[in-house]
Amino acid sequence: MTEEPYRWLEAIQNRREYIQDHLKGATPVFAASRPEGVLMLGAGQGQSKVFEVYDRHALCGLGHPVDIEKIRQAAIEAAHLEGFNRSTRDVTLRRLVGFSLSPTLKNSFEQIFSPPLIVESLFAELGETPAQDVLVRLHFDGNHHYEGSGVVLAHSDRKLESEAHAWLKKTLRPEHTLRDVADVFLTAWKAIFDRTSFENLAVSHAVPALNEGRTLEVALLDRRARGPVHYRKIDFPNFPS
Amino acid sequence: MNGDFLALLPKNPLQQPGTAVNREDLVLHATTVFAFHCSAGVIMAGDHRATAGNNIFSDRAEKILELDAHSMMAIAGSPAVAFEMARTLQTTFEFYRRSQLQPMSLDAKIRALSKLLRDNLSATLQGFGVVAPLFAGLETEDPAAKPIIQFYDPLGAQFEAVNYAASGSGSPSIRSALHYLEKWGSPRPREMSLEQAVVLANRLLMTAAEFDAATGGVHPDRRLYATIKLLNRDGIRGITLEEHETFWQKAES
Repeated sequence: MTEEPYRWLEAIQNRREYIQDHLKGATPVFAASRPEGVLMLGAGQGQSKVFEVYDRHALCGLGHPVDIEKIRQAAIEAAHLEGFNRSTRDVTLRRLVGFSLSPTLKNSFEQIFSPPLIVESLFAELGETPAQDVLVRLHFDGNHHYEGSGVVLAHSDRKLESEAHAWLKKTLRPEHTLRDVADVFLTAWKAIFDRTSFENLAVSHAVPALNEGRTLEVALLDRRARGPVHYRKIDFPNFPS
Repeated sequence: MNGDFLALLPKNPLQQPGTAVNREDLVLHATTVFAFHCSAGVIMAGDHRATAGNNIFSDRAEKILELDAHSMMAIAGSPAVAFEMARTLQTTFEFYRRSQLQPMSLDAKIRALSKLLRDNLSATLQGFGVVAPLFAGLETEDPAAKPIIQFYDPLGAQFEAVNYAASGSGSPSIRSALHYLEKWGSPRPREMSLEQAVVLANRLLMTAAEFDAATGGVHPDRRLYATIKLLNRDGIRGITLEEHETFWQKAES
């Protein structure tokens, strides 16, 4: 099959559709760079979606739990090897995603005779200031981009993701508290889940009912944390003051 | 020309062959460290001196090393090996916690250090890589657990210290003083407040430095105090210079 280019392209296209089909039921994950740190939010259905990777690094993912786990383990292993062999300051998202995770995902996607990795993800790196934070959106095919607007989300539907991102950029304000940011995320989460329009969407301060056994996960890469480890889970709605 | 700095080293040795070297002058040693229970948790303290034979190599050595949020290690012996052990343990504990989504148990942490000591057997037997560390940790998964102190022999055997432990060349003086205070002191070290325990730790190191040249003394007049860290359920925190000075001046006035 691979000797015939058009059939290879067809196989890749089938593979893309197969992955997108499997991702259809997944719900989005969010991250935003704030003065307090990088806030991340997801709603898992028995499985976690928000994870610590390294001292200043975290990952949010949606997709097949086994594949999220593969990406998570790959990220943790690469980060710890780099941190041990060089120093913790040498662990950067640019190198982690660019030289380790993105090629892994691209290889997996293009190896048409092996099962693909069904996972959409975003990565966050905490800097000394919000301007130095790094947010990366990583797609199942290894494609990735650095998000400079300070907010990013990952979802299976690119069109909805783009609309939600535009709304988040427009809605988030510098004066917002972490709780306000979580409310904005949850409003966007609900709009995507219910497939309602983002036009004229108002922020709701009521926690939406997370049906189908979902539990809310919120974590912060805390800029004010003492010591090397900055990741902490937040027991929603008890945000650190 | 592959850019590998380490590959260059054997071609350009720092020490020319044939130059007489006293091995004692090359092997660094770090002393003295100790730990004891007080009412606020476990106090772990150490001096700042590293020696090589009769040479004082450094008076700025940090010997109390945090391994993770609830465990720390005090090093005595060869710093090169001990620092590498501490770095390995730091990465091991955090890697386990992140990859397994649960913290490593305290028993496993204690044994991890034991295993590193056993793996260092050849250097220990050759006499240039001996490490006799202390370990303090808390089982975070047990809400009723209290911090514990462990001490090790250089081959990796581990023992829990009921009240205190000390290691390094100045440790005999410190062990004697702590034994006396635990038996006849008022208050006993385990009953002391943090303030009292910090003053005691500094005085113990001053005492050890009187009798052991390899122990760097505490010099409050030069604002030099022991490295002291406190472990309890809140985690690990170092005693600040301001705290040292306040506690010391109050105790001496």
